Amino acid sequence: MNKNGVGNYKKRGMAKEIMRRLMKNKMAVAGLVIITILILLAVFADVFIDYEKDVVAQDIPNRLQGPSAEHWCGTDEFGRDIFARLVYGSRVSLLVGVVAVVVALLIGGILGAVAGYYEGVLDNVIMRVMDIFLAVPSILMAITIVAAFGTNLIYVMIAIGISGVPGFARIVRAAVLSVKDQEFVESSKAIGAANITVIFREIIPNCMAPIIVQATLGVAGSILSTASLSFIGLGVQPPSPEWGAMLSGGRNYLRDATHLTLFPGLAIVITVLALNLLGDGLRDALDPRLKQ
Amino acid sequence: MEEKKYALKIKDLVVQYKTDDGVVEAVNGIDLMIEQGKTMGLVGETGAGKTTTALSVLRLIPEPPGKIIRGSIELEGKNVFEYSEKEMEKIRGNAVSMIFQDPMTSLNPVMTVGDQIAEVIELHEKVDKKSAMEKAKEMLEMVGIPGNRANEYPHQFSGGMKQRVVIAMALVCNPGFLIADEPTTALDVTIQAQVLDLMAKLRQKYNTSTLMITHDLGIVAEVCDHVAIMYAGNIVESGSLRDIFENTAHPYTEGLFGSLPDIEKRTEKLKPIPGLMPDPTNLPKGCPFHPRCKYCQDICKTRVPVKTSVSDTHAVSCLAYEEGTGVVLGGAK
Repeated sequence: MNKNGVGNYKKRGMAKEIMRRLMKNKMAVAGLVIITILILLAVFADVFIDYEKDVVAQDIPNRLQGPSAEHWCGTDEFGRDIFARLVYGSRVSLLVGVVAVVVALLIGGILGAVAGYYEGVLDNVIMRVMDIFLAVPSILMAITIVAAFGTNLIYVMIAIGISGVPGFARIVRAAVLSVKDQEFVESSKAIGAANITVIFREIIPNCMAPIIVQATLGVAGSILSTASLSFIGLGVQPPSPEWGAMLSGGRNYLRDATHLTLFPGLAIVITVLALNLLGDGLRDALDPRLKQ
Repeated sequence: MEEKKYALKIKDLVVQYKTDDGVVEAVNGIDLMIEQGKTMGLVGETGAGKTTTALSVLRLIPEPPGKIIRGSIELEGKNVFEYSEKEMEKIRGNAVSMIFQDPMTSLNPVMTVGDQIAEVIELHEKVDKKSAMEKAKEMLEMVGIPGNRANEYPHQFSGGMKQRVVIAMALVCNPGFLIADEPTTALDVTIQAQVLDLMAKLRQKYNTSTLMITHDLGIVAEVCDHVAIMYAGNIVESGSLRDIFENTAHPYTEGLFGSLPDIEKRTEKLKPIPGLMPDPTNLPKGCPFHPRCKYCQDICKTRVPVKTSVSDTHAVSCLAYEEGTGVVLGGAK
């Protein structure tokens, strides 16, 4: 949140300090390691997996096979290797999850901060618009946006991001309201800080805890929303792999071939868990009061 | 006679807060003048309008519900109400600074103290990050905190040290005028003395004029040149330190001194002022102090006293000092 251009030499010191504190938290390190492995797998998938052969090409004779040495996570209803599809699917899921949350956080965060800081008419207008957004089921809104603009991945990300905006706006507004009346905010006005400086340097850094928690949860929610969109054919198009699409595709075989839903489900659970662990650790590391 | 230069001139300032329970008349037409380089003590009970007066100078009255109804505040000869918000931002922290009451809450908990001091410098002077930080460290040293602690966070400091940091923040841009809003209320007595010493030293060094808001007459006696006594949004008595302490004129001021223990007459009971501050949404007619005044006459209940000069420097708002009112302060000093 260093919008005001904090100088380089100091930023490095602070980043180092936060990193050092994060490293002391074992759970956060576990989360960080898992996320790093997931990202590395997604980035270097091409090196050890042949996309055409393992991910797309159908191999009907070998369909619905359980986990084995050859197929670590078994094969799906078309005989494709589930592990390979999970690895490629992570590209989509991680990207959508993160980008959607960033979109929601930027738009919702700024709206919420402005509403909370200025209060009055502006607050009312912004929050009532957010209420309208909340009144529309988020998946319906995402469907509308994708249906209007097309099923391009970018629109999927924007659609899911926008449906997350009201949640962030409300959380940031509440946090800002609780911080803005504290004396240090008044004190920073008394030393001549402009409103924008007050918001970004004094208020937002003191509101980080709920924002980080909401953001890590939001990534999980976005992955699931993408899955829902894919399920009704508006998200990622087959045969491209995507965790949610794989999950819903395996639904019909739940009784006989559980691994079709188990492994995509596990992938989502592990990602979300790792993000939450990291988020918790990050929240603690960012709060200087918890420093030992 | 030499023309006196005033750092601050408040004329007929009226500030009100509009709340659901009615209009709070926080400040009711006060006049206040502070000479260049001098310290004015503004004394009064909680709720007398002291902080509102101070915030008006910085134009930080929250609007709504607050509103400056009329009056002018001249800071170094210019009316602050004529500045734009942008110009005001330049003035705050640079020409006028404020020290807040509670050092525990007036520092940002997630920024290092060095950053917070450096921020003031960056806001007002065209310097890069590095030299701002250097200057912040120098300032910390000046208030008696080792410069290498600049990278620590407020919770790592004790209350007295935090107040020193707040003072460093307020003085780092050498403001011509300093408002100290009960700067020692949250501190224990030994630390109070240190902080007051420090403030006095820095004030002398930079020739800063000060408005010292307090309800502690001991502090006033120690650091102020002039005193104004505030009651229910009015200044009831103002004068030099000697005028107020030795020629007490207003019954309220007399009451304030009566509430102080006298170290030489330990057996004597304190004489507190009976009653409470009037409800600021519903101030009494006439003299605002009349319901609690032991010399109250009928005329006090209807006629509002005007400022009357007792001497060149000493002014009081009490009907007993106006001619032809028939009010007598029995037993006044």
